Amino acid sequence: MSPLLELRAVTKRFGGLIANKDVSFSIGTGEIVGLIGPNGAGKTTLFNCITGYMHPEDGQILLGGVDITNAHPARVCGHGIARTWQLVRTFGRMTVLENVICGALKRTNRVGEARARAMSLLEFSGLAAKAGMAAANLTLADKKRLEIARALATEPRMLLLDEAMSGLTPTETAEAVQLVRRIHSELGVALCVVEHVMEVVMPLSQRVIVLEYGQKLVEGPPQEIVRNEQVIKAYLGEHRRDRH
Amino acid sequence: MAASRLALGAGLVLAVIYPILLQLGGYPFYQTIGFLVLLNAMLGIGWNVIGGWTGQFDFGPQVFFAVGAYVAALLFIHVGLSPWLGMPVAVLVAMLVCAVVTYPLTRLRGHYFAISTVAIWMIAQPIGATWEFINGSRGLFIPVETGQSTLRSIASLQFAGRTKALGYYYAALGLFLLALALVRLVERSKLGFYFRAIRDDQEGAEGIGIDSRLYKVIARCITAGVFAAGGVLYGFWALAVFPEQVLDLNWSTLPMMATVVGGIGRLWGPVLGAVILIPISQIMSTTLGTGPLAGRGIDLIVYGLIIILIAALRPTGLLSLPWSRWFRRPA
Repeated sequence: MSPLLELRAVTKRFGGLIANKDVSFSIGTGEIVGLIGPNGAGKTTLFNCITGYMHPEDGQILLGGVDITNAHPARVCGHGIARTWQLVRTFGRMTVLENVICGALKRTNRVGEARARAMSLLEFSGLAAKAGMAAANLTLADKKRLEIARALATEPRMLLLDEAMSGLTPTETAEAVQLVRRIHSELGVALCVVEHVMEVVMPLSQRVIVLEYGQKLVEGPPQEIVRNEQVIKAYLGEHRRDRH
Repeated sequence: MAASRLALGAGLVLAVIYPILLQLGGYPFYQTIGFLVLLNAMLGIGWNVIGGWTGQFDFGPQVFFAVGAYVAALLFIHVGLSPWLGMPVAVLVAMLVCAVVTYPLTRLRGHYFAISTVAIWMIAQPIGATWEFINGSRGLFIPVETGQSTLRSIASLQFAGRTKALGYYYAALGLFLLALALVRLVERSKLGFYFRAIRDDQEGAEGIGIDSRLYKVIARCITAGVFAAGGVLYGFWALAVFPEQVLDLNWSTLPMMATVVGGIGRLWGPVLGAVILIPISQIMSTTLGTGPLAGRGIDLIVYGLIIILIAALRPTGLLSLPWSRWFRRPA
Protein backbone atom coordinates (compact mmCIF):
# COMPACT_ATOMS: atom_id res chain seq x y z
CA MET A 1 0.00 0.00 0.00
CA SER A 2 1.32 3.43 -0.89
CA PRO A 3 1.95 5.84 2.01
CA LEU A 4 -0.43 8.72 2.66
CA LEU A 5 2.11 11.45 1.91
CA GLU A 6 5.25 10.85 -0.08
CA LEU A 7 8.02 13.33 -0.94
CA ARG A 8 10.45 12.30 -3.65
CA ALA A 9 13.68 14.33 -3.85
CA VAL A 10 11.93 17.70 -3.37
CA THR A 11 14.15 20.69 -4.13
CA LYS A 12 13.11 24.30 -3.65
CA ARG A 13 15.37 27.23 -4.54
CA PHE A 14 14.97 30.96 -4.03
CA GLY A 15 17.34 32.30 -6.64
CA GLY A 16 20.76 31.07 -5.54
CA LEU A 17 19.57 30.01 -2.12
CA ILE A 18 18.59 26.39 -1.74
CA ALA A 19 15.82 26.09 0.85
CA ASN A 20 15.16 22.38 0.41
CA LYS A 21 17.44 19.92 -1.34
CA ASP A 22 16.50 16.37 -2.33
CA VAL A 23 14.18 15.90 0.61
CA SER A 24 12.50 12.50 0.54
CA PHE A 25 10.33 10.94 3.17
CA SER A 26 6.89 9.47 3.58
CA ILE A 27 4.20 9.56 6.23
CA GLY A 28 1.70 6.74 6.66
CA THR A 29 -1.98 6.84 7.56
CA GLY A 30 -2.51 7.59 11.23
CA GLU A 31 1.11 8.46 12.00
CA ILE A 32 2.42 11.34 14.08
CA VAL A 33 5.68 12.60 12.64
CA GLY A 34 7.81 15.38 14.07
CA LEU A 35 9.72 17.65 11.71
CA ILE A 36 12.54 19.44 13.49
CA GLY A 37 15.64 21.41 12.65
CA PRO A 38 17.45 24.59 13.62
CA ASN A 39 16.22 28.02 12.48
CA GLY A 40 16.31 28.38 8.71
CA ALA A 41 16.55 24.65 8.10
CA GLY A 42 13.68 24.85 5.60
CA LYS A 43 10.81 23.40 7.63
CA THR A 44 8.25 26.07 6.77
CA THR A 45 9.33 26.13 3.11
CA LEU A 46 8.76 22.39 2.97
CA PHE A 47 5.29 22.89 4.50
CA ASN A 48 4.54 25.54 1.89
CA CYS A 49 5.59 23.18 -0.89
CA ILE A 50 3.45 20.33 0.44
CA THR A 51 0.38 22.57 0.82
CA GLY A 52 0.71 24.25 -2.58
CA TYR A 53 1.71 27.75 -1.46
CA MET A 54 5.05 27.18 -3.19
CA HIS A 55 6.03 24.78 -5.90
CA PRO A 56 9.33 22.88 -5.85
CA GLU A 57 11.71 23.17 -8.80
CA ASP A 58 12.46 19.46 -8.67
CA GLY A 59 10.96 16.34 -7.21
CA GLN A 60 7.45 15.11 -6.61
CA ILE A 61 4.88 15.28 -3.84
CA LEU A 62 2.24 12.56 -3.77
CA LEU A 63 -0.83 12.31 -1.59
CA GLY A 64 -2.32 8.83 -1.53
CA GLY A 65 -0.59 8.19 -4.85
CA VAL A 66 -1.98 11.39 -6.47
CA ASP A 67 0.59 13.92 -7.69
CA ILE A 68 -0.03 17.25 -5.95
CA THR A 69 3.35 18.81 -6.74
CA ASN A 70 1.92 21.74 -8.67
CA ALA A 71 -1.60 21.88 -7.24
CA HIS A 72 -2.72 25.19 -5.72
CA PRO A 73 -3.58 25.36 -1.99
CA ALA A 74 -7.36 25.06 -2.39
CA ARG A 75 -6.94 21.84 -4.38
CA VAL A 76 -4.42 20.40 -1.93
CA CYS A 77 -6.99 20.97 0.80
CA GLY A 78 -9.59 19.20 -1.31
CA HIS A 79 -7.29 16.21 -1.55
CA GLY A 80 -7.18 16.01 2.23
CA ILE A 81 -4.25 18.01 3.62
CA ALA A 82 -5.02 20.81 6.06
CA ARG A 83 -2.54 23.06 7.82
CA THR A 84 -2.06 25.73 10.43
CA TRP A 85 0.35 28.65 10.38
CA GLN A 86 3.27 29.73 12.50
CA LEU A 87 1.78 33.23 12.53
CA VAL A 88 -1.94 32.69 13.00
CA ARG A 89 -4.30 33.37 10.12
CA THR A 90 -7.69 33.38 11.79
CA PHE A 91 -10.52 35.36 10.18
CA GLY A 92 -10.46 38.20 12.71
CA ARG A 93 -13.73 39.93 11.85
CA MET A 94 -15.76 36.73 11.89
CA THR A 95 -16.88 34.93 15.01
CA VAL A 96 -15.15 31.80 16.27
CA LEU A 97 -18.06 29.68 15.03
CA GLU A 98 -18.09 31.36 11.61
CA ASN A 99 -14.37 30.64 11.22
CA VAL A 100 -15.00 26.93 11.62
CA ILE A 101 -18.13 27.04 9.42
CA CYS A 102 -15.89 28.32 6.60
CA GLY A 103 -13.79 25.20 6.99
CA ALA A 104 -16.78 22.86 7.14
CA LEU A 105 -18.20 24.37 3.92
CA LYS A 106 -15.40 22.56 2.06
CA ARG A 107 -17.44 19.35 2.36
CA THR A 108 -20.99 20.67 2.12
CA ASN A 109 -22.82 23.53 0.44
CA ARG A 110 -25.46 23.83 3.15
CA VAL A 111 -24.66 26.39 5.84
CA GLY A 112 -26.91 24.67 8.40
CA GLU A 113 -25.06 21.39 8.03
CA ALA A 114 -21.69 23.18 8.22
CA ARG A 115 -22.82 25.00 11.37
CA ALA A 116 -23.69 21.74 13.15
CA ARG A 117 -20.38 20.20 12.16
CA ALA A 118 -18.50 23.35 13.24
CA MET A 119 -20.23 23.36 16.61
CA SER A 120 -19.23 19.76 17.31
CA LEU A 121 -15.62 20.59 16.42
CA LEU A 122 -15.67 23.60 18.74
CA GLU A 123 -16.76 21.26 21.50
CA PHE A 124 -14.00 18.82 20.56
CA SER A 125 -11.37 21.56 20.74
CA GLY A 126 -12.74 23.21 23.87
CA LEU A 127 -13.82 26.47 22.25
CA ALA A 128 -17.60 25.99 22.42
CA ALA A 129 -18.01 28.61 25.16
CA LYS A 130 -16.35 31.22 22.92
CA ALA A 131 -18.33 30.40 19.76
CA GLY A 132 -19.89 33.87 19.51
CA MET A 133 -16.72 35.86 20.15
CA ALA A 134 -14.94 37.76 17.37
CA ALA A 135 -11.88 35.70 16.50
CA ALA A 136 -9.66 38.80 16.73
CA ASN A 137 -10.36 39.01 20.48
CA LEU A 138 -9.09 35.52 21.32
CA THR A 139 -5.78 34.86 23.10
CA LEU A 140 -2.94 33.48 21.01
CA ALA A 141 -3.44 29.99 22.45
CA ASP A 142 -7.14 30.07 21.53
CA LYS A 143 -6.40 31.43 18.04
CA LYS A 144 -4.04 28.50 17.42
CA ARG A 145 -6.70 26.15 18.77
CA LEU A 146 -9.28 27.78 16.47
CA GLU A 147 -7.00 27.32 13.47
CA ILE A 148 -6.75 23.63 14.29
CA ALA A 149 -10.55 23.32 14.60
CA ARG A 150 -11.03 25.20 11.32
CA ALA A 151 -8.50 22.95 9.57
CA LEU A 152 -10.17 19.83 10.98
CA ALA A 153 -13.52 21.04 9.66
CA THR A 154 -12.26 20.44 6.11
CA GLU A 155 -12.09 16.74 7.05
CA PRO A 156 -8.42 16.21 6.26
CA ARG A 157 -6.60 12.89 6.12
CA MET A 158 -3.51 14.67 7.33
CA LEU A 159 -2.92 17.79 9.37
CA LEU A 160 0.28 19.83 9.19
CA LEU A 161 0.93 21.91 12.30
CA ASP A 162 3.47 24.69 11.88
CA GLU A 163 4.70 25.55 15.38
CA ALA A 164 1.25 25.22 16.90
CA MET A 165 2.78 25.52 20.35
CA SER A 166 5.32 28.31 19.96
CA GLY A 167 4.63 31.38 22.07
CA LEU A 168 2.37 29.51 24.49
CA THR A 169 2.76 29.27 28.27
CA PRO A 170 3.69 25.84 29.71
CA THR A 171 0.06 25.22 30.74
CA GLU A 172 -1.26 26.20 27.31
CA THR A 173 1.39 24.02 25.66
CA ALA A 174 0.31 21.02 27.73
CA GLU A 175 -3.30 21.60 26.69
CA ALA A 176 -2.30 21.91 23.04
CA VAL A 177 -0.32 18.66 23.21
CA GLN A 178 -3.41 17.04 24.72
CA LEU A 179 -5.52 18.29 21.79
CA VAL A 180 -3.00 16.98 19.24
CA ARG A 181 -3.04 13.55 20.88
CA ARG A 182 -6.84 13.47 20.77
CA ILE A 183 -6.87 14.47 17.09
CA HIS A 184 -4.66 11.46 16.47
CA SER A 185 -6.46 8.95 18.68
CA GLU A 186 -10.10 10.03 18.33
CA LEU A 187 -10.23 11.36 14.77
CA GLY A 188 -7.53 9.15 13.28
CA VAL A 189 -5.94 12.02 11.38
CA ALA A 190 -2.26 11.70 10.50
CA LEU A 191 -0.11 14.55 11.79
CA CYS A 192 3.10 16.21 10.78
CA VAL A 193 4.29 18.54 13.50
CA VAL A 194 6.91 21.25 13.03
CA GLU A 195 8.20 22.34 16.39
CA HIS A 196 11.19 24.11 17.87
CA VAL A 197 10.73 22.85 21.37
CA MET A 198 12.30 19.40 21.68
CA GLU A 199 10.44 18.61 24.90
CA VAL A 200 7.19 18.89 22.95
CA VAL A 201 8.05 16.98 19.79
CA MET A 202 9.95 14.08 21.26
CA PRO A 203 7.25 12.59 23.51
CA LEU A 204 4.55 13.34 20.91
CA SER A 205 6.08 11.88 17.76
CA GLN A 206 6.30 8.28 16.72
CA ARG A 207 9.01 9.21 14.24
CA VAL A 208 11.16 12.32 13.88
CA ILE A 209 12.67 13.81 10.74
CA VAL A 210 15.56 16.26 11.19
CA LEU A 211 16.28 18.92 8.58
CA GLU A 212 19.50 20.91 8.41
CA TYR A 213 20.47 23.41 5.70
CA GLY A 214 17.48 22.28 3.68
CA GLN A 215 18.50 18.63 3.62
CA LYS A 216 17.25 15.66 5.53
CA LEU A 217 19.85 14.88 8.17
CA VAL A 218 18.38 11.80 9.80
CA GLU A 219 15.04 10.21 10.48
CA GLY A 220 14.06 7.72 13.14
CA PRO A 221 12.26 7.12 16.42
CA PRO A 222 12.68 9.94 18.97
CA GLN A 223 14.85 7.89 21.37
CA GLU A 224 17.44 7.43 18.63
CA ILE A 225 17.26 11.03 17.41
CA VAL A 226 18.12 12.53 20.80
CA ARG A 227 21.26 10.38 20.97
CA ASN A 228 22.31 10.98 17.37
CA GLU A 229 25.72 12.66 17.07
CA GLN A 230 24.78 14.58 13.90
CA VAL A 231 21.65 15.98 15.46
CA ILE A 232 23.47 17.10 18.57
CA LYS A 233 26.05 18.80 16.37
CA ALA A 234 23.38 20.51 14.29
CA TYR A 235 21.66 21.90 17.35
CA LEU A 236 24.60 22.63 19.63
CA GLY A 237 27.42 23.22 17.21
CA GLU A 238 30.65 21.34 16.54
CA HIS A 239 32.86 22.68 19.33
CA ARG A 240 30.33 23.11 22.08
CA ARG A 241 30.59 19.51 23.28
CA ASP A 242 34.38 19.58 23.49
CA ARG A 243 34.36 22.46 25.91
CA HIS A 244 32.07 20.72 28.39
CA MET B 1 -34.57 43.31 17.42
CA ALA B 2 -38.15 44.50 17.72
CA ALA B 3 -37.01 48.12 17.34
CA SER B 4 -35.12 47.40 14.13
CA ARG B 5 -38.13 45.56 12.72
CA LEU B 6 -40.32 48.52 13.59
CA ALA B 7 -37.87 50.87 11.85
CA LEU B 8 -37.87 48.60 8.78
CA GLY B 9 -41.65 48.47 8.61
CA ALA B 10 -41.96 52.23 9.02
CA GLY B 11 -39.30 52.76 6.35
CA LEU B 12 -41.07 50.49 3.89
CA VAL B 13 -44.48 52.13 4.46
CA LEU B 14 -42.88 55.56 4.02
CA ALA B 15 -41.06 54.43 0.88
CA VAL B 16 -44.33 53.23 -0.66
CA ILE B 17 -46.58 56.12 0.41
CA TYR B 18 -44.52 59.33 0.27
CA PRO B 19 -44.38 59.69 -3.53
CA ILE B 20 -48.18 59.43 -3.72
CA LEU B 21 -48.54 62.27 -1.25
CA LEU B 22 -46.08 64.31 -3.29
CA GLN B 23 -48.00 63.47 -6.45
CA LEU B 24 -51.14 64.92 -4.88
CA GLY B 25 -49.18 67.95 -3.69
CA GLY B 26 -47.49 68.37 -7.05
CA TYR B 27 -43.80 68.12 -6.12
CA PRO B 28 -42.44 65.52 -8.56
CA PHE B 29 -38.86 66.76 -8.00
CA TYR B 30 -38.79 65.01 -4.62
CA GLN B 31 -39.90 61.80 -6.29
CA THR B 32 -36.85 62.03 -8.52
CA ILE B 33 -34.67 62.38 -5.43
CA GLY B 34 -36.31 59.21 -4.12
CA PHE B 35 -35.54 57.53 -7.45
CA LEU B 36 -31.88 58.51 -7.19
CA VAL B 37 -31.71 57.40 -3.54
CA LEU B 38 -33.06 53.96 -4.44
CA LEU B 39 -30.85 53.64 -7.52
CA ASN B 40 -27.71 54.52 -5.56
CA ALA B 41 -28.74 52.38 -2.60
CA MET B 42 -29.20 49.47 -4.98
CA LEU B 43 -25.79 50.07 -6.57
CA GLY B 44 -24.27 50.34 -3.08
CA ILE B 45 -25.78 46.98 -2.14
CA GLY B 46 -24.13 45.55 -5.24
CA TRP B 47 -20.78 47.23 -4.54
CA ASN B 48 -20.84 45.92 -0.97
CA VAL B 49 -20.47 42.36 -2.30
CA ILE B 50 -17.02 42.93 -3.82
CA GLY B 51 -15.94 45.89 -1.66
CA GLY B 52 -17.51 45.11 1.69
CA TRP B 53 -17.68 41.35 2.05
CA THR B 54 -14.84 40.30 -0.23
CA GLY B 55 -12.75 43.33 0.77
CA GLN B 56 -11.56 44.17 -2.75
CA PHE B 57 -11.99 47.86 -3.56
CA ASP B 58 -13.60 48.18 -6.95
CA PHE B 59 -13.51 51.62 -8.59
CA GLY B 60 -14.75 50.43 -11.95
CA PRO B 61 -18.24 48.90 -11.62
CA GLN B 62 -19.65 51.76 -13.75
CA VAL B 63 -18.29 49.76 -16.70
CA PHE B 64 -21.01 47.17 -16.04
CA PHE B 65 -23.56 49.92 -15.41
CA ALA B 66 -22.75 51.05 -18.97
CA VAL B 67 -22.84 47.51 -20.38
CA GLY B 68 -26.30 47.05 -18.87
CA ALA B 69 -27.61 50.36 -20.21
CA TYR B 70 -26.26 49.71 -23.72
CA VAL B 71 -27.41 46.09 -24.01
CA ALA B 72 -30.99 46.87 -22.99
CA ALA B 73 -31.12 50.01 -25.18
CA LEU B 74 -29.77 48.16 -28.23
CA LEU B 75 -32.22 45.29 -27.73
CA PHE B 76 -35.09 47.76 -27.46
CA ILE B 77 -34.05 49.85 -30.48
CA HIS B 78 -33.10 47.01 -32.85
CA VAL B 79 -35.29 44.10 -31.74
CA GLY B 80 -38.05 45.92 -29.89
CA LEU B 81 -37.44 43.82 -26.81
CA SER B 82 -39.10 45.13 -23.65
CA PRO B 83 -36.53 46.44 -21.14
CA TRP B 84 -37.92 44.06 -18.52
CA LEU B 85 -36.85 41.18 -20.77
CA GLY B 86 -33.75 43.07 -21.87
CA MET B 87 -32.69 43.47 -18.25
CA PRO B 88 -31.89 39.79 -17.54
CA VAL B 89 -30.03 39.64 -20.86
CA ALA B 90 -28.10 42.80 -19.94
CA VAL B 91 -27.30 41.40 -16.50
CA LEU B 92 -26.00 38.16 -18.02
CA VAL B 93 -23.88 39.97 -20.60
CA ALA B 94 -22.41 42.25 -17.91
CA MET B 95 -21.59 39.27 -15.69
CA LEU B 96 -19.92 37.51 -18.60
CA VAL B 97 -17.85 40.58 -19.50
CA CYS B 98 -17.01 40.96 -15.82
CA ALA B 99 -15.82 37.37 -15.50
CA VAL B 100 -13.56 37.71 -18.55
CA VAL B 101 -11.95 41.02 -17.53
CA THR B 102 -11.79 40.28 -13.80
CA TYR B 103 -10.17 36.85 -13.85
CA PRO B 104 -6.71 38.19 -14.79
CA LEU B 105 -7.05 40.98 -12.20
CA THR B 106 -7.58 38.54 -9.34
CA ARG B 107 -3.85 37.81 -9.32
CA LEU B 108 -3.60 41.26 -7.75
CA ARG B 109 -4.85 42.36 -4.38
CA GLY B 110 -5.26 45.45 -2.24
CA HIS B 111 -4.27 48.73 -3.91
CA TYR B 112 -3.14 46.92 -7.04
CA PHE B 113 -6.52 45.33 -7.58
CA ALA B 114 -8.18 48.72 -7.03
CA ILE B 115 -5.89 50.42 -9.56
CA SER B 116 -6.51 47.70 -12.12
CA THR B 117 -10.29 48.20 -11.87
CA VAL B 118 -9.69 51.89 -12.66
CA ALA B 119 -7.57 50.85 -15.63
CA ILE B 120 -10.40 48.70 -17.01
CA TRP B 121 -12.72 51.69 -16.71
CA MET B 122 -10.20 53.90 -18.56
CA ILE B 123 -10.02 51.34 -21.36
CA ALA B 124 -13.83 51.26 -21.54
CA GLN B 125 -14.11 55.04 -22.05
CA PRO B 126 -12.52 55.34 -25.52
CA ILE B 127 -14.34 52.15 -26.57
CA GLY B 128 -17.66 53.72 -25.56
CA ALA B 129 -16.79 56.98 -27.31
CA THR B 130 -15.62 55.50 -30.61
CA TRP B 131 -17.33 52.15 -31.22
CA GLU B 132 -19.66 52.70 -34.19
CA PHE B 133 -21.92 49.76 -33.31
CA ILE B 134 -23.11 51.64 -30.23
CA ASN B 135 -23.01 54.99 -32.06
CA GLY B 136 -19.81 56.23 -30.41
CA SER B 137 -19.96 59.53 -28.57
CA ARG B 138 -23.27 60.43 -30.27
CA GLY B 139 -24.90 57.88 -28.00
CA LEU B 140 -28.17 56.02 -28.35
CA PHE B 141 -31.61 57.57 -28.07
CA ILE B 142 -34.44 55.46 -26.84
CA PRO B 143 -37.54 56.18 -28.92
CA VAL B 144 -40.42 57.43 -26.78
CA GLU B 145 -43.73 55.68 -27.12
CA THR B 146 -46.28 58.33 -26.28
CA GLY B 147 -49.94 58.11 -25.38
CA GLN B 148 -49.77 54.66 -23.90
CA SER B 149 -52.00 53.08 -21.35
CA THR B 150 -50.60 52.70 -17.83
CA LEU B 151 -50.16 48.97 -18.30
CA ARG B 152 -48.20 49.46 -21.51
CA SER B 153 -45.95 52.05 -19.93
CA ILE B 154 -45.20 49.66 -17.11
CA ALA B 155 -44.46 46.89 -19.59
CA SER B 156 -42.11 49.05 -21.65
CA LEU B 157 -40.60 50.88 -18.64
CA GLN B 158 -41.52 54.20 -20.26
CA PHE B 159 -43.30 56.75 -18.17
CA ALA B 160 -43.99 60.23 -19.44
CA GLY B 161 -45.80 63.41 -18.44
CA ARG B 162 -47.09 64.02 -14.95
CA THR B 163 -46.57 60.46 -13.72
CA LYS B 164 -43.04 60.03 -15.12
CA ALA B 165 -41.20 60.55 -11.83
CA LEU B 166 -43.75 58.41 -9.97
CA GLY B 167 -43.44 55.49 -12.40
CA TYR B 168 -39.65 55.39 -12.30
CA TYR B 169 -39.70 55.72 -8.54
CA TYR B 170 -41.72 52.53 -8.16
CA ALA B 171 -39.65 50.73 -10.79
CA ALA B 172 -36.53 51.65 -8.77
CA LEU B 173 -38.21 50.55 -5.54
CA GLY B 174 -38.99 47.16 -7.04
CA LEU B 175 -35.47 46.63 -8.35
CA PHE B 176 -33.99 47.87 -5.08
CA LEU B 177 -36.03 45.35 -3.06
CA LEU B 178 -35.08 42.58 -5.48
CA ALA B 179 -31.36 43.41 -5.19
CA LEU B 180 -31.65 43.61 -1.41
CA ALA B 181 -33.35 40.22 -1.19
CA LEU B 182 -30.89 38.51 -3.55
CA VAL B 183 -27.79 39.95 -1.88
CA ARG B 184 -29.21 39.01 1.53
CA LEU B 185 -29.51 35.45 0.26
CA VAL B 186 -25.90 35.54 -0.97
CA GLU B 187 -24.69 36.96 2.34
CA ARG B 188 -26.13 34.04 4.29
CA SER B 189 -25.02 31.34 1.88
CA LYS B 190 -21.69 29.58 1.43
CA LEU B 191 -20.67 32.46 -0.86
CA GLY B 192 -21.07 35.03 1.93
CA PHE B 193 -18.85 33.01 4.26
CA TYR B 194 -16.21 32.47 1.58
CA PHE B 195 -16.18 36.15 0.56
CA ARG B 196 -15.57 37.28 4.14
CA ALA B 197 -12.91 34.60 4.66
CA ILE B 198 -10.99 35.96 1.67
CA ARG B 199 -11.35 39.50 3.02
CA ASP B 200 -10.02 38.57 6.47
CA ASP B 201 -7.10 36.41 5.35
CA GLN B 202 -6.59 35.26 1.80
CA GLU B 203 -3.88 32.66 2.55
CA GLY B 204 -5.90 31.34 5.46
CA ALA B 205 -8.92 31.04 3.17
CA GLU B 206 -6.96 29.13 0.54
CA GLY B 207 -5.67 26.81 3.26
CA ILE B 208 -9.21 25.63 4.00
CA GLY B 209 -9.87 25.00 0.36
CA ILE B 210 -11.25 28.32 -0.89
CA ASP B 211 -10.17 29.13 -4.43
CA SER B 212 -9.68 32.85 -3.84
CA ARG B 213 -9.46 33.80 -7.52
CA LEU B 214 -12.68 31.98 -8.40
CA TYR B 215 -14.63 33.50 -5.52
CA LYS B 216 -13.33 37.02 -6.19
CA VAL B 217 -14.60 36.66 -9.76
CA ILE B 218 -17.98 35.41 -8.51
CA ALA B 219 -18.23 38.33 -6.06
CA ARG B 220 -17.44 40.92 -8.71
CA CYS B 221 -19.88 39.28 -11.14
CA ILE B 222 -22.67 39.71 -8.57
CA THR B 223 -21.67 43.36 -8.23
CA ALA B 224 -21.63 43.67 -12.02
CA GLY B 225 -25.10 42.13 -12.29
CA VAL B 226 -26.61 44.65 -9.88
CA PHE B 227 -24.88 47.54 -11.67
CA ALA B 228 -26.13 46.29 -15.05
CA ALA B 229 -29.73 46.22 -13.79
CA GLY B 230 -29.24 49.76 -12.46
CA GLY B 231 -27.84 50.80 -15.83
CA VAL B 232 -30.94 49.51 -17.64
CA LEU B 233 -33.20 51.49 -15.32
CA TYR B 234 -31.10 54.63 -15.69
CA GLY B 235 -30.97 54.37 -19.49
CA PHE B 236 -34.75 54.17 -19.81
CA TRP B 237 -35.21 56.94 -17.26
CA ALA B 238 -32.83 59.22 -19.20
CA LEU B 239 -34.24 57.96 -22.54
CA ALA B 240 -30.68 58.01 -23.85
CA VAL B 241 -27.38 56.25 -23.32
CA PHE B 242 -24.27 58.42 -23.71
CA PRO B 243 -20.84 56.95 -23.03
CA GLU B 244 -19.66 59.82 -20.81
CA GLN B 245 -22.90 59.67 -18.84
CA VAL B 246 -23.15 55.94 -18.12
CA LEU B 247 -19.38 55.65 -17.62
CA ASP B 248 -19.35 58.60 -15.18
CA LEU B 249 -17.10 57.99 -12.19
CA ASN B 250 -19.97 59.05 -9.91
CA TRP B 251 -21.73 55.73 -10.59
CA SER B 252 -19.06 54.07 -8.49
CA THR B 253 -18.06 56.83 -6.04
CA LEU B 254 -21.59 57.69 -4.84
CA PRO B 255 -22.63 54.09 -4.07
CA MET B 256 -19.20 53.47 -2.56
CA MET B 257 -19.45 56.54 -0.31
CA ALA B 258 -22.98 55.61 0.68
CA THR B 259 -21.70 52.16 1.65
CA VAL B 260 -18.80 53.51 3.69
CA VAL B 261 -20.94 56.14 5.45
CA GLY B 262 -23.72 53.67 6.29
CA GLY B 263 -21.53 50.71 7.17
CA ILE B 264 -19.26 48.73 4.87
CA GLY B 265 -19.90 44.99 4.87
CA ARG B 266 -23.38 45.41 6.33
CA LEU B 267 -26.43 44.65 4.22
CA TRP B 268 -28.28 47.85 5.18
CA GLY B 269 -25.17 50.06 5.22
CA PRO B 270 -25.46 51.40 1.67
CA VAL B 271 -29.21 51.92 2.13
CA LEU B 272 -28.74 54.17 5.16
CA GLY B 273 -25.82 55.92 3.45
CA ALA B 274 -27.82 56.64 0.29
CA VAL B 275 -30.82 57.91 2.29
CA ILE B 276 -28.50 60.42 4.02
CA LEU B 277 -26.12 61.44 1.25
CA ILE B 278 -28.16 61.58 -1.95
CA PRO B 279 -30.88 64.03 -0.74
CA ILE B 280 -28.17 66.27 0.77
CA SER B 281 -26.33 66.50 -2.52
CA GLN B 282 -29.51 66.92 -4.57
CA ILE B 283 -31.14 69.51 -2.36
CA MET B 284 -27.93 71.47 -1.90
CA SER B 285 -27.09 71.51 -5.56
CA THR B 286 -30.55 72.93 -6.35
CA THR B 287 -30.79 75.42 -3.47
CA LEU B 288 -27.19 76.60 -3.13
CA GLY B 289 -26.52 75.96 -6.78
CA THR B 290 -28.85 78.73 -7.92
CA GLY B 291 -28.16 81.33 -5.21
CA PRO B 292 -25.38 83.89 -4.96
CA LEU B 293 -22.88 81.11 -4.52
CA ALA B 294 -23.94 79.44 -7.73
CA GLY B 295 -21.29 77.60 -9.67
CA ARG B 296 -18.83 77.56 -6.79
CA GLY B 297 -19.34 73.90 -5.94
CA ILE B 298 -20.46 74.67 -2.36
CA ASP B 299 -22.66 71.58 -2.37
CA LEU B 300 -19.67 69.38 -3.12
CA ILE B 301 -17.64 70.99 -0.31
CA VAL B 302 -20.39 70.41 2.28
CA TYR B 303 -20.83 66.90 0.92
CA GLY B 304 -17.14 66.21 1.27
CA LEU B 305 -17.10 67.56 4.83
CA ILE B 306 -19.89 65.19 5.89
CA ILE B 307 -17.99 62.26 4.48
CA ILE B 308 -14.73 63.34 6.17
CA LEU B 309 -16.55 63.73 9.51
CA ILE B 310 -18.12 60.27 9.37
CA ALA B 311 -14.93 58.65 8.12
CA ALA B 312 -12.94 60.26 10.97
CA LEU B 313 -15.42 59.74 13.80
CA ARG B 314 -17.00 56.41 12.85
CA PRO B 315 -14.96 54.68 10.14
CA THR B 316 -17.02 51.51 10.46
CA GLY B 317 -20.13 53.44 9.42
CA LEU B 318 -23.27 54.75 11.05
CA LEU B 319 -24.89 51.31 11.33
CA SER B 320 -22.07 50.22 13.62
CA LEU B 321 -23.17 52.72 16.29
CA PRO B 322 -24.69 51.01 19.35
CA TRP B 323 -28.28 51.55 18.19
CA SER B 324 -29.66 48.55 20.03
CA ARG B 325 -28.32 49.89 23.33
CA TRP B 326 -29.87 53.31 22.73
CA PHE B 327 -33.26 51.95 21.74
CA ARG B 328 -33.51 49.16 24.28
CA ARG B 329 -36.62 49.39 26.37
CA PRO B 330 -35.84 50.07 30.03
CA ALA B 331 -36.34 46.85 32.00
